[in-house]
Formats: sequence, C-alpha cells, structure tokens
Amino acid sequence: MQYDYTIMKLTKKRVLAAVLLCGAVNATAQTVADELKADLRKVAGLNYALPMTELAQETPPPAGKRPFYVNHYGCSTAYYLERPEYYDVPYKTLFQADSLGKLTPLGRKVLEKVRLLRSDALNKTGELTEYGKWQARQQARQMIKLLPDVFTDRCYVDGRSIVQNNCLLTLGEVSLEMSSSHSPMRLNVDGSHRSQMWMNPVDNVLEAKRTDSVAMARYADFIGRWPPDDIKLMGRLFSDDDYAKRIDASALSRQLFDLACSTQYAGVKDGVSLFDVFTPEELHRHWLRRNAWAYIRYGGCTLNGGHQPYEQRRPLWNLIHQGDSMLHLDYPVVHLRYTKESMVMSLVCLLELDDFGVQTSQLDSLESLGWADYRISPLGGSMVMIHYRSGKNDPDPLVRVLLNGREARMPIKTDCAPYYHWEDVKRYYLRKLYAYARERNDV
Amino acid sequence: MLMQERETTYKKHWLLALGCWLLALGVQAQPVYDIIKKSPGYASCNYDVYPDSMPDFLSAPPPGKFPFYISHYGRHGSRYINKRSGYEIPYKMMAQANGVRELTSTGKRVFSQMNVILEDSEDRWGDLTDIGKMQHRQIVRRMFSRFPEVFADSVCVSGRSTIVPRCILSMEVALMELAQLNPKLKITMDASKSTQWYMNYQDPVLKQSKLRPAAQKAYDAYIASRTGNSRLMEMLFQNPDIVKELVDEAFFNYYLMKMGLFQLNTRFSDDNYLTDLFTTDDLYRMWQIDNALWYLQYGFCPLNGGDYPYSQRHLLRQIIADADSCLRQDHPGAQLRFGHDTVLLPLVCLMGIDGYDLQTTDLDDIELKGWWSSSVFPMASNVQFIFYRSDPSDKDVLFKVLLNEQETTLPIRTDCAPYYHWKDFRRYCLNKLDRYEKKLSNEKTKKAKKG
Repeated sequence: MQYDYTIMKLTKKRVLAAVLLCGAVNATAQTVADELKADLRKVAGLNYALPMTELAQETPPPAGKRPFYVNHYGCSTAYYLERPEYYDVPYKTLFQADSLGKLTPLGRKVLEKVRLLRSDALNKTGELTEYGKWQARQQARQMIKLLPDVFTDRCYVDGRSIVQNNCLLTLGEVSLEMSSSHSPMRLNVDGSHRSQMWMNPVDNVLEAKRTDSVAMARYADFIGRWPPDDIKLMGRLFSDDDYAKRIDASALSRQLFDLACSTQYAGVKDGVSLFDVFTPEELHRHWLRRNAWAYIRYGGCTLNGGHQPYEQRRPLWNLIHQGDSMLHLDYPVVHLRYTKESMVMSLVCLLELDDFGVQTSQLDSLESLGWADYRISPLGGSMVMIHYRSGKNDPDPLVRVLLNGREARMPIKTDCAPYYHWEDVKRYYLRKLYAYARERNDV
Repeated sequence: MLMQERETTYKKHWLLALGCWLLALGVQAQPVYDIIKKSPGYASCNYDVYPDSMPDFLSAPPPGKFPFYISHYGRHGSRYINKRSGYEIPYKMMAQANGVRELTSTGKRVFSQMNVILEDSEDRWGDLTDIGKMQHRQIVRRMFSRFPEVFADSVCVSGRSTIVPRCILSMEVALMELAQLNPKLKITMDASKSTQWYMNYQDPVLKQSKLRPAAQKAYDAYIASRTGNSRLMEMLFQNPDIVKELVDEAFFNYYLMKMGLFQLNTRFSDDNYLTDLFTTDDLYRMWQIDNALWYLQYGFCPLNGGDYPYSQRHLLRQIIADADSCLRQDHPGAQLRFGHDTVLLPLVCLMGIDGYDLQTTDLDDIELKGWWSSSVFPMASNVQFIFYRSDPSDKDVLFKVLLNEQETTLPIRTDCAPYYHWKDFRRYCLNKLDRYEKKLSNEKTKKAKKG
C-alpha cells in the first residue's frame, strides 16, 4: 500500500475549528495556540506522530570540531493504541445504541469510522503502524544525512530497545535502514530486561508520590473548572436524550478523543478523521487535561514534590558516564536507545532542555509557559546528544542536543550556543544529581 | 571484544563440534553415542548450538533450472534459558545440601559455578545471546552466497517473526545482514499478533492429549533404566544416601546436566566444568530420555494420538499459499519466518522430511530409525524451501528442502532427487491436510450428535 504522509488536509470545517481554537486560548500562549492551529494533530500530545519532515537549519560547529559520539534516547514510532478495549468499548457503546435506533446521522457516521479503525487495529494493538515504520526509516535516513562524519566505515552502532514490541520494531526498522544505507555498517541490536535500569528505570518511592492526594485534588480542581461539555457531545451523537443520559459521557468522550488522535497514523485507506466530532474548544480542553496529567506524572510539578523527572536519573548518569568513556575512542560510536515516551519526557525535563524542566504548581499556567507534551516526546521523537571534538586528546569537547530533530537549549552558559562545553554540562548535571542524592540520602 | 573478533573465536571453539554435528545432520552414519562423545551439546536436544559453518556441497539443479524464490522458517538463535525455574530445581537442592554442610569440595565448586550462571542469567531469561545473533548472520550469509540469483537487484524480502523478542531480534539481525549484502533489496519486517495463528500455533486440542496413558506407560518403562546417576551423587555429596532426603537423584542429574549444556549458548568461555562432571554414558542416556519425550509429544507417535504434527497445518498451508502467490511473480525474492522449536519440529514431521514422519509404538525404534530430534531443532535451526525454474513461464517448478542447510528427502517420488516437482509436493501436502481436517470435522459431528 502506498502512503501519502503529507500533512493531513484539513477540511473547511476543521480549518474553521482550528481558527476558533486559536481564538479560544489565552493571548499569552500564542505559540502553543499557533502550533495547535497549524496542526490539529498535536492535540494528541504523547500520541502525536512526529511528521519527520526535513531537519531545520544546522548550526555549524566551531572550527575544527567534528562529531564523534551520538547518544540517543528515542520513543517508539507510531503504534496502534495499546489495548483492544480502546477500540472495542466505544464501538460497542455506539453499536448498541445504533441497534436500538438511538444514534443521530453524525452518530452513525462516527460508528462507521470507529468500525473501520477497530477493524484496522484488530490483532495489532500496541504494534507499529505502517506510518510508524516509515517514521523509523525516515529517522535513520535523517540521522545519516545529518552526521556523515559519524556514519563512516569505522562507526560502531549499538542499538537497544526495552522489551516491548513497538520499541523493538522501531529499533529494527531504524537498524535495517542504516544497514541498507551504509556498508560496511557495524551495528548490534539488543532488547533485554538487563538494560532496563538505564533504559526505563522505575523508582517506587517517586511513583508512590506521583499521584498523591494533593496532586489529585488540584488536578480534579483544574479539570472541573470547565463546563461539562461532554454532555453536548452526547447530544450530537445520540438522538434520544434519556438514552444518552445512561451513557458515561465523560468516558465516551475520552475514548473517541483517543481514537481521533490515533487516526493520524492508522492504516485506514484514505484516512479517517474523528476530530470533526469535537468542537475546537472540546479538543483544546482534552489536550489541556492530558497535558496537565503528563506534567504531574513526568514533569517538574511541585504538587507532588517536583522530583518526578529524577526517576530517570540513572539514564542521566549513563549519559555522563558514556560521554566520558567515548572521549578517547578512535572510531565514532552511536548509541541508540528506544524506550517509552514517558521515559523520554522525564529525561528531557530532568535535562531542563528548552525550559521543559520548569517547576510550578499552577496547572493552568503550563500552556503559557510553553510546556506542551507534543513538543517533548511525541511518537517518533528523540533526545539526541551529539559530542564534538577536534581530536582524540581535545581538552574541550563540546555537545549539542537535538530534541525531536531541532537544536535544544540547555540550562547552562555557553559561548557557542547551541554547542556547550562538555565539562560545563557534566558539572551542571553532576551537581544536580548529587544534590538529589543527598536529599534522598542516596550518598 | 568486537563482533568480528568474537566470530573468529567461535570458529576456533566450535570447529571440532562441527564435524560430528554435520555427520549427525547428514547421513546419520554415526551412532548417537559417538556424536555425543565428540559433541556433548548434541545430548541437550533443543538446547544444542547451531554449527558456525557448513560444507559448501549442494547437488546441482537439473540443467536449465535456476533458483528464484526461497521460503523459510527458522528458529530463533541461541538464547538464555527461558525462566529461572529451569535452573532452580538443581540450585535449590544444592543450596539445601550446602546449608547442612553435605557438599564435597567438588560439590562446593559446582554450587559456586551455579551461582555464577544464575547471576549471569538474571534479567536475561529467554534473551537472544550474541552467539544466537551470529548464527543468524551466518545462515543468511550462506543463503545469500549459495543462491545469489534469488537476492539479485532490488527484489523483495519479507521477514516475519512471532511476537517473542528473541525471534524479533533474530529476524532483525538476519535482515540487517541481508541489507549489508545487497543494499538494494526491498526488505520489510513484521512481528504481529495477527500472524500468530500460523507463525506460532499451539493447537489446544492436540496439546491436551500430549501424553496419553499408553504413552506415559511406554515412556516410564523406557526411562526406568536410564534415569539417575549415583556416581554424580557420590562426587558432590558427602553422604549421598542421607542427602536423598533433600535431593531427588533423577531430577537433579537431569537438570544439572541441562544447566551445564545450556551454557554453550551463552558463553565464549572454555570452562565446561559442569558438563565435564558427566560421562558420555550419562549424556547419552539423557539424550535418549529427552529424544523419546520429544517424539511422544511432537512426533507421529501412535501411542499419543499420532496427530501432533498436524498442529502445524496452518503454517504448512500458509507456506504453500505464499509459494503459490510468489510463483506467479517474475522475481519473488524471499520470505523469511522466525519462530520456535515447538513449531519447527512438528512441521518437519508433518512434511515427512528425512523420515521424521516415523510412526512406531516401540520407543527403542526411534533411535534406531534415525528419529533424532537434536538434528532437527538446535538453536537457529531452519527449513529452507529453494524453488527452481527455467524462466517465469516454466510450468514445472522444482524445489528442494534444506533442513539446517542440508539437502533432504521427502516422502514422495521424484525423478531428480534431491529436487522434487512442486506440484507433486503441493498435492501431497494438501491431500494430507484435507484428510486430517475431514477427520476432525467427522469427529466434531459425532460429538455434536452424542451431545
């Protein structure tokens, strides 16, 4: 099947919706609003599939410096929703209503779309979609194009994945593309629970605090301040108000939103959109809720202590350790790691890239602060730290970070942005890790 | 150590084992005892390690016929043992004996070795090892060099795997190697629940009848004189008679031997301390026990219903359907499938490759008549169907089956062995499957009537 992966054409109605959405958000949050307006798919947040278009303009490295080591942490590329229930439950709700003649014409259209999506995902839940495979190949092509000095005959690529089907297959597609693109390519792949401790570690202490009562109360307060617009959605889908009242409106709305977000990478021919079921305000609110929820769980939210990103402190230790270990190697090395979106999100927040380490208790300020989940770890997203040096004994190696293919800012002073002095980078993050270790009595 | 260096080391280590293993794979002229004497890993049946090279000799095809398509089903490469429980039986027994100071100095060294193995395996249960990856790279390299016509230019190669990580990684390693050999190939891969119905089908009906009373009786009688190892008990325990309260001799002997032999899949080390505890006699008896059980459970054994190989009927039908479709193409390329031993063994029996469709009620027969499971399904074992024709319009497509890269015989007539006429084999298989499915259908009808 041939796929056209250009940005989904917005219908007139959806264009109007996007404009309205833009107007609905706070004027100070123009940037996020503009992005959502330009590409409605971003409301999917962590389920937004990075388009993998051409890379932005590259800032050349300071004279004499060349890349020699690449440390990458990437999300799985686009995959079907993880469990069959995501498809089955809304389908059954709508199917049952239809069998009783309780659906509006729009409701019947929605049922048909849900049927198509469910059929497409049958026995494939949690697995890479064709779009996801294309994304992975594209990622490999971009990496090779971006770093010709690294992908040489002598380069060694070590690719690892957590033990999860979609991550293993993302790694497979990337590795396969690399193997086809350059010969000889020394490339090893692996996927083992052994590497879990620095690929996706779990910290039971932090996880216990993650959704404590204060955070949950403030989250409930945050999502409760809007009118119950799910009821309006029921009115559009069901022809009988009394029947609609028996449906869990909030649950069905969430389920349809999940499916709507998944349409951007589903394998349904000619594409199916469910975004037009919702009004722009409804879509925006769904995104705000999800974004706040992601921030509480993986960001620097002070409601639960502000330390959730430290769950990924071992990978950060590993980043520092590997950066030092590779300094004197006489051949380029690439470390590819494919893991969960949530892990990459926490790591990015821990690294405070592009101010995503921001700490606040004000969930309604996230949009104005620019903390948007789709910017941090979308499907196909990655954090790539590239190390530069002039030679094996260069006393001043530099690093540059690409977040989802774009140059990212680090919270560190530099005289050659977006390049940073490795010694400064190391010192900053080691201090940060030591301070947290002291707080946890880990030292 | 770099991969290439490792591979060189492997070659040195396994050169000796290779010779005997190949003999076992080929004409099976050597008694199993002699094979095990030279290559102890053979005694571990499905835990045996695939050889790292193969003889180049293959029969030339009839004049004018060229290879144009390969259909393959391969087992994942060498792996760590699936579950900790596989090691826990002998370990717990040793730990208890150690707790009451019953271990001899040899016993203490064995216990220490077991601890090292457990530590090495922790969090790697079932993982593909570096040896396993090397096996698939080498198999693909040989496939490519033996049949370059199949992989010419930009033909399609599809890889399918079960959803088990070690199979996915085996597939990825094999396909990456192919991409290096010919970057123009159009390679796709998948590992989906949607193909499990034929890639890894475990028939619930046939599985329920895995060991019927008659089979159990014959098995018990067969193994009665082959289990246990009093010599080992005396070597490891100070008071073997007393320690029997803690250590079941038969279980302990069997699992400790397996634990030792399994390490051939995970290590590059020459330290075979655990396997050196066992004599060829010990290993040979374990092979007999294991081989008999594999036959009862996965072969055409009449004592146990005699139908288990039909569990792979969906896979065989799929292989035929895929071939039917590919034969219509000018350059069909290759279809590589990656799965498991419990699929490959019954598939080989179902097709009757090299006499593995043997039916006997006498368990002594299976060794005598060459039903040696170790020759079928070591780690990375594989079946390759190599198709030949003169050109795309050729109606008389020939093929041959390679079992672990060696030519085989099939239970049908041919005028050009080891090549067979595809239409003959296709008809033979489909008739066989139809008969079985008709039998199943009749049984269902009878049950329904009774119900």
